[in-house]
Amino acid sequence: MVDIALGTALAAIGAGVAIGFAGLGSGLGQGMAAAGSVGAVAEDNDMFARGIIFSALPETQAIYGFLIAILLLVFSGLLGGGSGLSDTAGIVAIGVGASIGFAGLGSGMGQGMAAASSVGAIVEDNDMFARGIIFSALPETQAIYGFLIAILLMVFGGILG
Amino acid sequence: MADGIATIISSLGLSNEAFLAIVLLAFVVIGSIVVIVATRPILDIYPYLHPNARVRARKGRLFDEKQISELVEANNIDEISNYLRGFPDYAEYLDNYTLDKALDIQLGETYDLVSRMAPKEVQTSFKVMAKKSDITNIKSLLTAKEAGLGKEATDELLIPTGSLYDDLQHLSDVDTVTDVIAGLDGTEYAPILEEVLPDYEKTGMVLPLESALDKYYLSKLLASSETPSDENKQILYSYVGNQVDVANIKLILRAKVDGLDYEAISPYMIDSGYQLREWKLKDLMEAEDVTGVISSLEGTKYSDVLTDVLPEYNETGSVALFEKALDKFLVDSAKSYSMKKPLGIGSIIGFLSQKEVEVRNLKIIARAKREEDFPISKIREMLV
Repeated sequence: MVDIALGTALAAIGAGVAIGFAGLGSGLGQGMAAAGSVGAVAEDNDMFARGIIFSALPETQAIYGFLIAILLLVFSGLLGGGSGLSDTAGIVAIGVGASIGFAGLGSGMGQGMAAASSVGAIVEDNDMFARGIIFSALPETQAIYGFLIAILLMVFGGILG
Repeated sequence: MADGIATIISSLGLSNEAFLAIVLLAFVVIGSIVVIVATRPILDIYPYLHPNARVRARKGRLFDEKQISELVEANNIDEISNYLRGFPDYAEYLDNYTLDKALDIQLGETYDLVSRMAPKEVQTSFKVMAKKSDITNIKSLLTAKEAGLGKEATDELLIPTGSLYDDLQHLSDVDTVTDVIAGLDGTEYAPILEEVLPDYEKTGMVLPLESALDKYYLSKLLASSETPSDENKQILYSYVGNQVDVANIKLILRAKVDGLDYEAISPYMIDSGYQLREWKLKDLMEAEDVTGVISSLEGTKYSDVLTDVLPEYNETGSVALFEKALDKFLVDSAKSYSMKKPLGIGSIIGFLSQKEVEVRNLKIIARAKREEDFPISKIREMLV
């Protein structure tokens, strides 16, 4: 069995939480947006491109979670064979993962609902596209906050640098 | 800090591995709670996303006020048909059928589409609604045979939509109303009609047969939505319930204008409505006259709707005023449901209601345009 320091193992949990929950939110959101888009395309073929745009919006949360998870894996020594993290830094790493994980979960689901609703509004009235994008982009902010805090925690918690 | 944590861990008598396992377990528990709480509303919304996008696409194709106004100002029925040929939803039927028939087919197809794509939890009610075409066709057959129409004239009355259309078409060459009912053997409508057949034989009028079909349809519709376990089903139950109550009120008002009493009205009533339960309906049926019916409705949501038009009724004596007010109430209710639950059943209900209004308005316009010099202002008044 590979010998892993406690701090590094905790960072691994953080990485799992980061991509796990962010990915869950992103997946649910994208599923909702895509379900709405398929319905719209079934009625109006021209909706395909716009449906793709709205379905792609909730992808970002998974990307944030993936980035944070990779950073945690690299700087904890799990990837690249570094020296490993202290126990304290390991606990901080869990906070890092929770920050982007939970923020991404809420943001992804919210964005999915807004995107699905926007697709419905656009297929009903073409002029709703710009306003739909704006409303659908709003729930992105929570994921950005989570991502920023995750980065700050890594920088000042002794994981990065 | 690290030393502090290590002290706490060792004071608890835990090894590093055990501590790690506890942290992991805590995350699993917290994560599970978050996932369950967060995904619950999504489970409500998810089945409606696809059908909602589709009905909203169709809602976007409904005529707006400006288009209806253009149709009202058309010079004749041909202009109406040509105008509608510019819209794919109607164009495909107008090439083969008359305007009225094309409108009925479009509405029937809409019910059929909604019944197929509605989420499973509410599908039964929409499937019942889709039976409207069959019921209309059976009524047309009964009326045609009562009037002694031949096969060709009867076929003209049938709307080529609905699950029973082919079977009903075969019945268009029978001679009598009794033959039509016998021909329906094996369908859900046969026992309903057989039960009131003696009434037809006694009076020679198809009204009891038609009323029995209406009563069966509305009772089945109400029963299909009677277990409102979540908000979507509650809204559906209210929407369906309003229709049943309104049908009962219309019947009672008509009966009171004709001076009919409880015994004469009660066979045609849907026994227990939504807001108007059995005892209330009995009160209404026992009222002396129209004013008495409206007084008995006090405290229900139908009271204001009818009271508002009572002065106009007293002036004109037209019961159609109440019927129009009740129809408007149904449309407004559907609109409010569509706003209450836009990501749920609201969009479907809102669309169906508006589609019905569109078809009804187009039929009113078409009928008016068949008359010579029918005043445009009068058409506007008649529109829902």
